[in-house]
Amino acid sequence: MNTKIKPLINDEYTGEPATKRVLAHLQAKREEGKKIAGVYCGYAPAELIRAMGIVPATLCAFSNATIEAAETVLPANLCPLIKSSFGFIITDTCPFYGISDAVIGETTCDGKKKMFELITDRKPTYIMDLPQLPDEKEALANWTVMIRKLQTFLETTFKVRATDEQIEAAIKDTNRKNVMVRKVMDFAALTPPVVNWQEMFDLTTLCQGSTGKEAAPVLSEALRILEERRAAGYAYGPGGAPRVMVTGCPVGGDAQKVFKIIEEAGGVVVALDACSGFKPFMMDIEEDTKDPVRALAERYLKIPCSCMTPNTRRLTEMTRIIDKFRPDAVIDVVLQACHSYNIESHKVGEHVQKNHGLPFLKIVTDFSQSDVGQIRTRVEALLESY
Amino acid sequence: MRAAGIDIGSRTVKLAVIEDGTTVLARKALTSHDPLDAARTLISGVMYDVIVATGYGRHLVKGHLGCPVISEIKAFALGAKAIHPPCKVILDIGGQDTKAISLNDAGEMSKFEMNDKCAAGTGRFLEIMANALSYTLEEFSRAALSAERAEKINSMCTVFAESEVISLTAQGAMRHEVALGIHKAIVSRSTALLKRIAPSGEVFLAGGVAFNECVRALIAEELNRSVVVPTDPQIVGAYGAALHAATLEEGKGVK
Repeated sequence: MNTKIKPLINDEYTGEPATKRVLAHLQAKREEGKKIAGVYCGYAPAELIRAMGIVPATLCAFSNATIEAAETVLPANLCPLIKSSFGFIITDTCPFYGISDAVIGETTCDGKKKMFELITDRKPTYIMDLPQLPDEKEALANWTVMIRKLQTFLETTFKVRATDEQIEAAIKDTNRKNVMVRKVMDFAALTPPVVNWQEMFDLTTLCQGSTGKEAAPVLSEALRILEERRAAGYAYGPGGAPRVMVTGCPVGGDAQKVFKIIEEAGGVVVALDACSGFKPFMMDIEEDTKDPVRALAERYLKIPCSCMTPNTRRLTEMTRIIDKFRPDAVIDVVLQACHSYNIESHKVGEHVQKNHGLPFLKIVTDFSQSDVGQIRTRVEALLESY
Repeated sequence: MRAAGIDIGSRTVKLAVIEDGTTVLARKALTSHDPLDAARTLISGVMYDVIVATGYGRHLVKGHLGCPVISEIKAFALGAKAIHPPCKVILDIGGQDTKAISLNDAGEMSKFEMNDKCAAGTGRFLEIMANALSYTLEEFSRAALSAERAEKINSMCTVFAESEVISLTAQGAMRHEVALGIHKAIVSRSTALLKRIAPSGEVFLAGGVAFNECVRALIAEELNRSVVVPTDPQIVGAYGAALHAATLEEGKGVK
């Protein structure tokens, strides 16, 4: 930050973790009498949930504090995100879980799948069977059925109904929101960027927790401020700072140490290629189809998560992001014991280096601060070479 | 103009001072529990015009000396290239890190790999294992060289490997054969790291572990590639930092 600048979201939560703002929003919804469905993952079809007047809430998964409690049950050598999620539940410290009336999970990775088995007795829980060969023709049909089954679960649990018209309306609402979020990201694609990673992270967190209609005023104001910054010649980061794209596992809470280290090493984070960043907003859902649930299934199956095989879409999406945001280096963040992202990192590294000629660094980490020194050495060496 | 480089490693602090590209002073001290104090003691009374810090304690020293810092990867790349100009591949086995670095034709770092965050397969690993076998570091290397066969060590975690060594000795295994097994374990781990970034070519071996004769011999044997070891493999990082300091002074802050 080179000057004191106007925050993108100016409210009583400015400067606080983005989740506080989302929690306040959800609590207000609950007071209105709305039901809350806790979700863990980008594959949960938010539009279907919203079409029923139910509010989706992303559950806590990013704190080191709950891992110790989780390790009384779960193996230590497991993904920190899964351990943290589980720890939040057994210590009853995730307020989002506390206000959720039901929980939706997906069979993304083995760790999550088996962890869900340990929490299903606590709240009404629905686990969706996610196809993992997304390009097989049966995958779309199966996932469409799965979303319809989730609809039945929610309808039975909450005694509500969703018509296809309501689902269609929720799809259009998301698409409008995504267009605006992408406009915010455009300001990170500028040289120099005028929006920083924290601001993008806060906005995407808020937007995942709200409808397009709710998010629109905040997004319009953010876009107005960004336009003002650009006109005033504001730059995020030092002049000529190397631009870094961060890809890989979701990065939030304590894992944000990686973003902070990149900034401290003189870099600027211009692209957040993860579910905790750009991924939910990069593609639209097809509108006005005969079957809006099938349209949803098609969009969600395109999420380039490493649980898919072959996950070629990850590389094509990365190319799209690289072409637009023009990073000088790519850092792949792999959470400890996340086998799918860890193995896929080899392909990602080859793609980035051979097809884009960019320096590449893989960081395997967890939510503790114990490896900050080691990460700093690697990141500094990467940015020195630029 | 005298340019200094200080490399605050996890086990040893190294200082190099150069004048017109020639080393005029090289000093070392143990890092201890107080790396800043160790660094201060090492530089006290030393004359220099400019200093650059590297190594894991670089940011600590930067705060106190107000000097620029570079990562140890860059420092080793600069130092190795200057000591041995044809250098393309560097393997640095230090106290708590192992680094493999490849250089492009211009001598700039093109790729690097480091060991995982634990000290498995580093100098500290060797120290602990020597201790478990009641050897000094010198005896440890000599004993390993004298063994004709090696006991296989399967664990790479320092703590698990120590338990394994204790079980082996409890079963009556020959101490020098266990020593060779330990040396082989660290070498296979380091060479695997190296092969990821540079599958062929001569290797410049640096870091304190390069003093270990058995490690040197095993690396050459395992890779079947020629291995160059500088006279003082431990000073390469400090020397690289001093070279960087000299360019800063010449370019007056321009890289």
